[in-house]
Amino acid sequence: MTTAQFLQNLLNGISIGSVYAIFALGYTLVFSILGIINFAHGAVFTLGAYLTYAMAVGQFGINGLLSGLSIPVQLPFPVALLLGCILSGLVSVLIERLAFRPLRNRGGDALLALVSSLGVALVTVNAIQYFVGSEIYSFPPEIYGDIKPAITFSIGESVVVIRTVQVIIFGVCMAVLVSLGFLIARTRFGKALRAVAENPATASLLGISVNRFILYTFFLSGFLGGLAGSLVGTSFGVAGPYFGVTYGLQGIAVIVLGGLGSIPGSVLGGIIIGLIEAFVPPDYSAYKEAVSFALLFLILMVRPQGLLGQSQIQKV
Amino acid sequence: MKRLFFAVLTIMCSTAAHAEKIKAPIHIGIGVAQTSNVALFGEEQVNGAKVAEAVFNAKGGINGTHFKLVYQDTGGDEAGAINAFQNLINRDKVVGIVGPTLSQQAFSADPIANRAKVPVLAPSNTAKGIPQIGEYIGRVSAPIAFIAPFAVKYALQENPKIKKVAILYAQNDAYSTSETGTFQESVKKQGLEIVTTQKFQTTDSDFTTQVTAVLGAKVDLAVISGLAADGGNLVKQLRQMGYKGLIVGGNGFNTANVFPVCGKYCEDLIVAQAYSPAVVDTNPVNKEFVTEFRKKHKKDPPQFAAQAFTAVQIYVEALKKVEANTKNKITQLDLATVRTELNKAIRTGSYRTPLGEISLDKEGEINQKSFYVSRIKMEPNGKSGKFLNVK
Amino acid sequence: MAEFLNNYGFLIVTVVQQALLGMSLYYPLSAGQLSLASPGFYALGGYIAAIIGTAELFAPWRDLLGKAVFPLEWIIAGVASALLSLVIGLPALRLRGIYLALATIAFVQIVRVISLNLSITGGAIGIFGIPQLFESRWGYIWIFGPLLAATLLFTWRLEQGRIGRAFRAIREDELAAEAMGINPTRYKAQAFIIGGTLAGVVGAMSAPFLNTWNARQGTFDASIAYLAYVLIGGTRSLWGALLGAALLATLPEILRPLNDSRLIINGMVLVIVSIYLPQGIVGALARLRGAGKKKGVPAGGKT
Repeated sequence: MTTAQFLQNLLNGISIGSVYAIFALGYTLVFSILGIINFAHGAVFTLGAYLTYAMAVGQFGINGLLSGLSIPVQLPFPVALLLGCILSGLVSVLIERLAFRPLRNRGGDALLALVSSLGVALVTVNAIQYFVGSEIYSFPPEIYGDIKPAITFSIGESVVVIRTVQVIIFGVCMAVLVSLGFLIARTRFGKALRAVAENPATASLLGISVNRFILYTFFLSGFLGGLAGSLVGTSFGVAGPYFGVTYGLQGIAVIVLGGLGSIPGSVLGGIIIGLIEAFVPPDYSAYKEAVSFALLFLILMVRPQGLLGQSQIQKV
Repeated sequence: MKRLFFAVLTIMCSTAAHAEKIKAPIHIGIGVAQTSNVALFGEEQVNGAKVAEAVFNAKGGINGTHFKLVYQDTGGDEAGAINAFQNLINRDKVVGIVGPTLSQQAFSADPIANRAKVPVLAPSNTAKGIPQIGEYIGRVSAPIAFIAPFAVKYALQENPKIKKVAILYAQNDAYSTSETGTFQESVKKQGLEIVTTQKFQTTDSDFTTQVTAVLGAKVDLAVISGLAADGGNLVKQLRQMGYKGLIVGGNGFNTANVFPVCGKYCEDLIVAQAYSPAVVDTNPVNKEFVTEFRKKHKKDPPQFAAQAFTAVQIYVEALKKVEANTKNKITQLDLATVRTELNKAIRTGSYRTPLGEISLDKEGEINQKSFYVSRIKMEPNGKSGKFLNVK
Repeated sequence: MAEFLNNYGFLIVTVVQQALLGMSLYYPLSAGQLSLASPGFYALGGYIAAIIGTAELFAPWRDLLGKAVFPLEWIIAGVASALLSLVIGLPALRLRGIYLALATIAFVQIVRVISLNLSITGGAIGIFGIPQLFESRWGYIWIFGPLLAATLLFTWRLEQGRIGRAFRAIREDELAAEAMGINPTRYKAQAFIIGGTLAGVVGAMSAPFLNTWNARQGTFDASIAYLAYVLIGGTRSLWGALLGAALLATLPEILRPLNDSRLIINGMVLVIVSIYLPQGIVGALARLRGAGKKKGVPAGGKT
């Protein structure tokens, strides 16, 4: 591998990895506070991409109930993206109210949250198909303004090319990660959130409304999921209602690798999985997925708490 | 519990009638994927079939008897395909079935139809061995892209200086892996050199590694076998990262679904086609199909829709043959007879369809003569485009 | 009757088959282990049967044994799955709760990707033209039915005996169980291997039942589906998996008349059932009976 190839893969891996990180953080936030994996998170990712698309482009195809729909008003992309993420956050809040809180209140088997969140995912994905079909939708490149499609620079004699979209995505992800880090580490809100995650009973004794913080967490989680979906959508297109499924599963690998419930762990895990995907030679691309899961299996064997996680938590 | 038992008993008794006559309208079954991640193709098939239903019923159906398409969703899996077929065969009493969407599903559900002696026409199964499942199984989807040599020749004609070629294909897609074999042969036959072969997955979306390899190999032609989402993304990323040479895309690109994926970067892509919506002057059936489809959906029909239309058309024409052969109206015959006679009739003679003139051999394999090469012309806004016929 | 079975025979046998797969997950769960590995073994068993049934290499076996080749396939699939579950289980069972679940999901994914890429498994298309044991789909009830009956009987006996008590002790409190002289590793491995073997045998029976076998049979979705059978049916009774499969596997078919929206409703039912039947169907039935007789949950214990 030449230096240029190495750099190429590195940049590429970090860019993909940063989206994984953002997406996986959505899982992590909910896990850290409720101790469950929200299987509906992949569906929120998909929904977010569709919502942003609807507001930024708004052209729909020939299938589904809304066939031929063309939304007359289009918002500038940054506004649409922000609204798309907020709406995804609200959907996530709705999911908590409909599928998670009733379970907690009724004292069901905690594992049932897996089933109910799976049910929500099924509803979301099929509702998308019901309304706008399975067609592929895609953002025109102009949404990011008048940019060059790729950035080229040379190292010695060889040339490194990276798509501008990926650089932008990387930038957005970093900005979000830094603000999120600040929010959680430095603000009163973050402190309270961590207290709830640490021990809900104590937190409620301290006067923190646990249920409200759970809602906040779901909002943040959905926001991040919708953001990741929209960003991936701008880079690769929104490839049907199921396009979040692969990310949903990959995201689970990320959070385990980094350490369940660990926020810096999710970021590290995301970057590592992104890099692995970039560095697997194309001839073995068929085994790409297997490589991340094999790594996941191995990590669990030697260090079940993940790279940055604390010792085993007895949660589902 | 008791009530349930009686309900079950009633159902069992009510369906026990034998040698039942066919009632008008005649039922033709459509068992394709209307849900799951395969629905991308299934929706196109449903759209094509619906146009066929309207067009042929408007012309009097089967010598005056109308027919009705009955839809049963197969979902994306094997058990779903079996359930849908069972429903079509036993409850909807169809005379024949169009479906399923995936070859894997066909291997699961077709044997069921074959044992029940119900004809099946596959609109999109391209794997080896589909017609060989049984005597009642046929297809209208050509298994190998005969067109590959023409597409490569056309590229050479456009740029005679082509020497070095990159081959890219979706490794986890059966059609793409067999298609790339044909492509590679014809590239070599033309005296060109394959300098790099890159594999990818239909589930991939980032192709930086493959594109870098293609750019590094300094090729003048890239030949891609893949499906709309992955193939389109590959084209887009090739162009974005600065690839200037020609690109030939396989049959998987023959759908308007690639337009949104690669947008303005689809421009000039050379596509090998088993169906072309542009061939209307020499093909009146296609003209009618394209006109009706455009009226309804405001865009050109994709290949999957054309193939589904074709399958329905074959049933309609073959049913007419059954009436001629038996000198009876279909509605005077019993279901089992119609199914058997229909299956025989399908395999005789030829059909003028949107796919051109085709016939099915004894085994049920399609014999298709016309294949096309076209170039994509995008509209200035980069949102939609057209396949322009070049051969 | 024949007409009814023609149409619904496949569905009924599918329920039994899915119930068996739910059972395969129930054993580890009854020893407190959340293992989602079943689809991996199911896929393995199916491939073994499909390969023995179709590959040139095994033609002499088929000629020699005739129909008796089928039981042989089940045995080989069972043994292979048992061995593989030992290999996977020994390291994996050191993990707990969600960590074990994730490790087993990784296992299922690895099996899927590998089988998608080998030539012996037929790549993406898989293996087709698998020889049939019965003409009609309903006929397969004669293998899946007895297997389910045997499995239920086996489970019932198991739960009455020493092993069942050990499973329950580990489930309630692993440390306490160990203090009582129960070797948790041994029992956990036993539960895991029983489950894996059962899934492998079911896979071997399913390959001819589905006519074809491919990498889409053992997936993450399947893992969650089997888990849902047990959870919705009731995790604390051997009847849970059967009741759960009977509801969830038939649901998409019951909703078939809804066409486009059937999976939306299916998803809603999953949510509603999880919320309103927190102890599963078995728990709900027991409460119904308990309301009359003022008795506790028979199969339960504390929740």
